[in-house]
Amino acid sequence: MSDLLFFFEVTLAGLGSGALLSLTALAFVLIYKATRVINLAVGEMLMLGGYLFFAFAAGFGLPAWAAIPLAIAGGGLVGAVVERGLIRPMLGESPIAVFMVTIGLGSILVGLVELIWGTDPRALPAFMGNTPIFIGEAYVSRKIAIAFAVAAVVIAVFLVLFRYWRGGVALRATATDQAAAYSCGINVPGVFSLAWVIGCGTAAGAGVLLGSIGGISPAMGVFGLSALVVVIVGGLDSVAGALVGGLVIGLIEAWAGTYLGGEFKLVTTFGLLLVALMIRPYGLFGTTEIERL
Amino acid sequence: MKIGTAKHSYQADEALLTTRPQRLWMGLFALGLCIAPFMLDNYWLYLACLVAINVASATGLNILTGYTGLVSLGQAAFMAVGAYTVGWMQLRLGTPFLLNIVAGGIVAAAVGLLVGLPSLRVKGLYLAIATIAASIILHFVFVNWQSVTNGNSGLTLTPATFLGTPLTDYKQLYFVFVPITALMVLGAANLFRTRVGRAFIAIRDRDISAEVLGISLLRYKLTSFAISSFYAGVAGGMWAYFFRVVTPESFPFVYSIFFLAAIIVGGMGTILGAILGAVFMTLVPELLRFGIDWLTPVLPNAAAMLSPVRTIVFGLLIVGFLIFEPKGLAEIVQRTRRYFHLWPFKK
Amino acid sequence: MLSFTRRTLLALSASAAIATALPAAAADDIVIGGSIPLTGVFAFAGVGIEAGMQDYIKIVNEAGGLQGRKLRLAYEDTGYKVDASVAAFNKLTSQNTIHLYYGDSTGFAKTINGELDRMGTTIMAGASFATELNDPKAFQYQFMAGPDYSEMTGILLEYIAKEKPGARIVLVNSDTEFGRDPIAATKARASELGLEVVEEIITPPTAVDVSTEVLKLRRARPDYTIFHGYVLAPLPEFMTQAKQLGLETKFMGTFWSMDASIWSKVGEAADGFMGVMPYRYYYDEADNAPMLDRIREMRPEYQSTPYMQGFLTAMLFTEAAKRTLEAGQELNAPNLKAALNSIENFDTGGIIGVPISIPGNSIPVGRIYRYDASAQQMLPASDWISVQE
Repeated sequence: MSDLLFFFEVTLAGLGSGALLSLTALAFVLIYKATRVINLAVGEMLMLGGYLFFAFAAGFGLPAWAAIPLAIAGGGLVGAVVERGLIRPMLGESPIAVFMVTIGLGSILVGLVELIWGTDPRALPAFMGNTPIFIGEAYVSRKIAIAFAVAAVVIAVFLVLFRYWRGGVALRATATDQAAAYSCGINVPGVFSLAWVIGCGTAAGAGVLLGSIGGISPAMGVFGLSALVVVIVGGLDSVAGALVGGLVIGLIEAWAGTYLGGEFKLVTTFGLLLVALMIRPYGLFGTTEIERL
Repeated sequence: MKIGTAKHSYQADEALLTTRPQRLWMGLFALGLCIAPFMLDNYWLYLACLVAINVASATGLNILTGYTGLVSLGQAAFMAVGAYTVGWMQLRLGTPFLLNIVAGGIVAAAVGLLVGLPSLRVKGLYLAIATIAASIILHFVFVNWQSVTNGNSGLTLTPATFLGTPLTDYKQLYFVFVPITALMVLGAANLFRTRVGRAFIAIRDRDISAEVLGISLLRYKLTSFAISSFYAGVAGGMWAYFFRVVTPESFPFVYSIFFLAAIIVGGMGTILGAILGAVFMTLVPELLRFGIDWLTPVLPNAAAMLSPVRTIVFGLLIVGFLIFEPKGLAEIVQRTRRYFHLWPFKK
Repeated sequence: MLSFTRRTLLALSASAAIATALPAAAADDIVIGGSIPLTGVFAFAGVGIEAGMQDYIKIVNEAGGLQGRKLRLAYEDTGYKVDASVAAFNKLTSQNTIHLYYGDSTGFAKTINGELDRMGTTIMAGASFATELNDPKAFQYQFMAGPDYSEMTGILLEYIAKEKPGARIVLVNSDTEFGRDPIAATKARASELGLEVVEEIITPPTAVDVSTEVLKLRRARPDYTIFHGYVLAPLPEFMTQAKQLGLETKFMGTFWSMDASIWSKVGEAADGFMGVMPYRYYYDEADNAPMLDRIREMRPEYQSTPYMQGFLTAMLFTEAAKRTLEAGQELNAPNLKAALNSIENFDTGGIIGVPISIPGNSIPVGRIYRYDASAQQMLPASDWISVQE
């Protein structure tokens, strides 16, 4: 097999896993855009989504088409509860404090999942089929291809919603200037809740995809850290940044993993993160914050 | 209750402990620390040593995060640097252990300076994430710098020796660790009575204003990083002599979160806070162990719940303190003190 | 500073009260201590280990104990964290007189062995089969109830060399201490046996998506792929994708990946997975295995491979203590370890299919099993292989 074809296949695989990263990064971005909160518990929401799907599909025996929306809705519901219960009381506190609340939240979620489902890694019921996909001669894992398609569709839908839907416009308005949004009659607390519901729902959906590829375990939340790199590189408040950042990080991880070795994956992405921070502290597409006294 | 301060000398004015009851209680506390090892069994001595190590490291993080306002999620990685330095010197050079521990601190401080560089350009959460990146890169170095770190299997240390006796007993280690930690806490308490410490506080409160006042952000942010990592390095050095095995997996990322949680729970920006937080966060998981022991007759499956319950409690403590008691345990202590100061007169 | 002092003193006195309030152990019980991971990433193993040890202790006690002395297991959960394991060790040893200890991780074993050398009262076994620990000079009071990780891959290579001389092999290891443990030894042994290691793949410990690794595997075209450093994930994904690509390679693993109940949840993709296993499986109906009959009698449902590990470890602990007591010697580390090393051609009641000897720190014996998805069982694929020199 030629080296060129191999490189092409690795690139495709990288784009596929990059799409998953983009999808998870989207959850960060949605919440940050509206509420200026970096939700480090996104990784754990993702894990919870995987477990909810597991509960609905394997526990209650529901078919995948019913279990997936239920898992996403469950994730959204948890998002709503978290926003009202933990984040709303923290409004006006320093971003660091809120950030730490989400770290605590992550720990609580992991503990709860361990308590309910135990710590054993589990496999999700298969629902994606098994026939391999070939693009020309190049092989693509079917699950990765599906993940790529889903991520692409979801991100496209979000881009359209932000442009045309009232709720999306309200979200952008809140992100630009909270006070102005208030005075235009936008229900800002409502927007906050909405952002958390959608963000956590997205994370839960990404968790179902991720879980069906690699199985679920309480530790799978670390995937959120890679997605965090994506949003920092892409810009915390940019949907386009999440998309581009995810694909770039996915590609770099795949190339580094293939040509340098698996142990170089993380260190390459985080090294890149440091470089990106030094050159563009607010990310490739992020809004530069100007500080005044 | 104290009314008025009649001080006759600058010395009295500069004292850390200004009243007689304070000195008395502090003396009793010091005495308690001295006699405690003779009353505790091995298990509690083990915990006391662990607490001493964690207090040292949490105090360091408090200097950086609580007093300078720079959030770091790399404290465990700096501890690892100290631990590896100590391990390497102990095995290769065979130098005295106190020298090794100090060297561990110094090397960690040097690494801290390097990691602090991004703090000049990014701050807040971006900085926190830069420190995560730094700890992942350090982890990579520990795994792959085979000749120094011995890769994944790590370094196995010989015990520290003092005048020819190996320090292996927890009681002996206690008398090494607790004085070092006490010295470091004292150093931190004094730091904030100097120009450097005050500059840190000014930077925390508003860095741009501080710069306008003529405080060099470059110099003081990096100094803060260096001091904080020095503390972590010394703590890591003690850790190395305590467990005597240092591997890349010895200082996981959650350990960094643990220290941040400790200073949040204890109270950021107070010396007492870091101490209380580290003591509390170290002991709570162990106390839960006893709670589970007592529950076992009622709930036969209780033992299997310990670890998830610990994880949940860890999270709940962070969230609960941030929402209900943002100034931490130190504030509760202050409130209690005020209550007794005013006691019969105010409810 | 006032209330701080008072609080600390209160806390100290309270903790002292807690420490003394615990019940003392019955004086002449022989206590087996244990830092066992009942929760955390390694919980599936810890739960089995605990059950296995308890069952064997029950069998011994029902038969009257050791010279009239009962056995007892005193254990604590560790969550598979080294500091918690050390805390448990200190707690248990300060509450009981412990001569036999079960430790969980390699890190814990390395931390505590220095302590064991000084105490000279206790020998230790555990869940770690790390190659490093299989060194009677450096770890004189440690042993493991099976082959070490390098010996496990050695057994696999032995089998491969017999089945297909000159086979091409790919090693897949996780980027952890556990995962990297046998790499060097495996490569050395493979070249001795005339096998060719064509590719080494290291995966990050948290790897989920393994597509790029599978592509590497396809390029290397191995006859055998040996995984080490995992329990389950990401093995099934590797195998599924490899099957999709039509790869002919056979997948192999080591002890901790070998439990049949884990693989039964994976389904069809698990079919044909092979690996090295030092013990017989729960459902093995071999004639010369009275202990397995006994286990099935005590527990009607399937018991995991960690259960067997715990069961055998307790058996070896007991045997060492029995031989020491029978020789009229004091229970301490040198005597116990000497008694353990005197075990020769010992019949484990069928837990291991051949008589065993423990000249050093390990029992370098194992057998290759293959998973059969239709039977949902691991079935033997070879005879017992010993790599003892």
